[in-house]
Amino acid sequence: MNRRAGLAAGVAAGGLGVAAVVVLRRRGILGGNLRLSRGLAALQLVARGGARYASNAPRLFAAAGEHRQQLRNDLALETAEDVATTLGAMKGVLMKLGQMASYIDDGLSPSVRRTLSRLQDSVPPMSPELAAQVVAEELGGPPEQVFARWDPEPIAAASIGQVHRAITHDGRAVAVKVQYPGIAETIAADLGNVALLRRMLRITAPSQDVDALLAELRERILEELDYRREAENQRLFADYYRGHPTICVPGIVDELSTRRVVTSELADGARFAEMAGWSQSERDLAAETIYRFVFRSLYELHAFNGDPHPGNYLFHGGGRVTFLDFGLVRRFTAAELEPLMQMARYLCVEHDPEEFRRNLVKAGFLRADAPLSTEQVIEHMAVFYDTVRESRPLTMTGDYSSAVVRRFFDVRSPVTTYAQIPRSYVILQRINLGLFGLLGELTATANWRAIAEEIWPFVLGPPTTPIGEAEVPWRQTRAPTPRPAPGG
Amino acid sequence: MTAEPYATAAGLVERSAAAYVSGVPEQPADDGFFGPASVTWRMSGDLGGPIAGLRSLLMQALHPLAMAGVDQHSGWREDPVGRLAATSGYVTTVSFGERAAAERAAARVRRIHTRVNGVDPITGRRYDATDPALLLWVHAALVESALAVRQAFGTALSDTDADRYVAEMVVAAELVGVPVAIVPASVAELDRYMESVRPELRRTPAASESMAYLLDPPGLDEEVAEIWQDIRYGAVVSLPDWAREMYGYQAPPLTPGRREEIRQVLGVLDAVFLGEPGVLEARQRIGARVRAARTA
Repeated sequence: MNRRAGLAAGVAAGGLGVAAVVVLRRRGILGGNLRLSRGLAALQLVARGGARYASNAPRLFAAAGEHRQQLRNDLALETAEDVATTLGAMKGVLMKLGQMASYIDDGLSPSVRRTLSRLQDSVPPMSPELAAQVVAEELGGPPEQVFARWDPEPIAAASIGQVHRAITHDGRAVAVKVQYPGIAETIAADLGNVALLRRMLRITAPSQDVDALLAELRERILEELDYRREAENQRLFADYYRGHPTICVPGIVDELSTRRVVTSELADGARFAEMAGWSQSERDLAAETIYRFVFRSLYELHAFNGDPHPGNYLFHGGGRVTFLDFGLVRRFTAAELEPLMQMARYLCVEHDPEEFRRNLVKAGFLRADAPLSTEQVIEHMAVFYDTVRESRPLTMTGDYSSAVVRRFFDVRSPVTTYAQIPRSYVILQRINLGLFGLLGELTATANWRAIAEEIWPFVLGPPTTPIGEAEVPWRQTRAPTPRPAPGG
Repeated sequence: MTAEPYATAAGLVERSAAAYVSGVPEQPADDGFFGPASVTWRMSGDLGGPIAGLRSLLMQALHPLAMAGVDQHSGWREDPVGRLAATSGYVTTVSFGERAAAERAAARVRRIHTRVNGVDPITGRRYDATDPALLLWVHAALVESALAVRQAFGTALSDTDADRYVAEMVVAAELVGVPVAIVPASVAELDRYMESVRPELRRTPAASESMAYLLDPPGLDEEVAEIWQDIRYGAVVSLPDWAREMYGYQAPPLTPGRREEIRQVLGVLDAVFLGEPGVLEARQRIGARVRAARTA
């Protein structure tokens, strides 16, 4: 037993929420810039578990379908009061905090992770009557009327709701996510009294502007309680990829989506675990589609889905992949993306280290006055670009994603002292933690550089793979991406 | 002065959780002494347990003879956490265990009590742990604390349910050897009893010392120590005024904001408790039976 003396229970009780907050804070999801400095070591200690990263993306919250066996209908919540009892007293807040933190990185200690996961498991589904009541309140009629067919048994648990299958009157099979009644109010009430969180944060992060942090935390969580935002994100992706040969995003049924109900087309396919047993060529194709999805979304849609964990994909063979769950999407402005593009451009295409560094500073990743040679900077940062520096087939491995993550958290490097994570880019760490981890698990091989060149707005190269060829008609229906101004 | 003779409070959550889990049977032969339709079972979901537990210890310690028995016989200084876990395990077994299991646990306690007797150095009075009067005090302090803490930090029981709860608890006193006839069976009887015992109560040095340990256990992590302040405050503020004055504790009044803060602390602690192996399943076993009883 390596547990510390004290009531620790693996994690300090109050530290539970705070560990999550600190992770969010550390990753800059909350608050402004947080320098990646020696202080990071202390913070990592708080959110124990620091820099141990498996190639697996975090599995704290199971995605649709995975909780099937654990749905305890015999304990179903029957009233909004039951919901308040089950998720009040900070429990709903802790769940949201943990979920947000898990989207961002693996920095939660195993005991915090276990506790949050058990907390999630401890929430029973709604009784069919209670779910029907929410549907009626939101959509104006009982589910049996609003839908042509309605399955009263939920097929999956969501963090603050559950998913039902239904068929619309125009014959579409849909997944209907229904939010627990009163959960938004319960969580808002807990967030209205931040004395406890404030005290905890003062202990764990004494130098931070705790009140600003709390205000932002509150705003973010309350935002997540509104399903309309998630629907809007999913609609953005679904519209953009409509007609794409391998990328499928279930469409949102607008007239059946509200603050507490979101209805999307029902998708079915192989789960990640099943697909991982397919032939290597199938796995390569699936990996290529996921890669294209991430970078096309980033560079063309200026949007990034921050939750690339394995539960959020369905696989159909031939490289066709359905993308699920758009609860955490970050939209970027062109100005925010510009330096990122220039960094890739100057490091990988133009081979101009000084310009690379200039854009690094411009983006806020490196302090302008850092007393470092540009070689040192390149040496430190280049690992993030290893897959796209040369045009040749390359196999992703778990080792690579681990190396990237280790580098990111390497507090001993002299560069780290002067590096920071600008808040707007923090979610992109999910590329390192999630995407590369996923591709590594598939031991996927491709010429990633060639694919990147197809997508990079400063190259817009010709198709280099069969999927790239198949994309051409779809691409022609999309407005051309404006080229960035040269020089950034 | 640090509590040198005492061990640290390490492992309280883990060991309490293990004791709790083992007290909730998986395939019970019967519903035990209370059963899924009881107020006792329905109250089990309340978050106030840690505060109620601490408050009842504060109350119990005010009886010089009860305190002397603990002070002179229990090995609790060497293993305070083990002692607390054993007590909460006992309460769980009596509450949720089969009748046979509850009776076995009670018989064990009665057997231990036969060895606990002596003279209280403060009052010079003889004490004996089999004395129904002492056992009744310990029982009543526990029951009264459960109600008071629920009232202060949870959803108060209706008058009817509160009476039912006190009446249900009579059997728990009987199990450790208190004649049923003298056990309060309603809130009013309980209040009268508590009042009647007051002249005997006082804070002895042993009580001060033990409670000082409990209120500020050594060896806590900083974050936990912070949280423990709320548990301590909750226990102290919910004491009757006279008991608080006997100890000489100060407690700022319980504002609505402070109450919410403490409820949050209890929720966080409960989440941590849930993270311990088997706790969720044990809760679900109870919950499913309560639910089945409700719909039956």
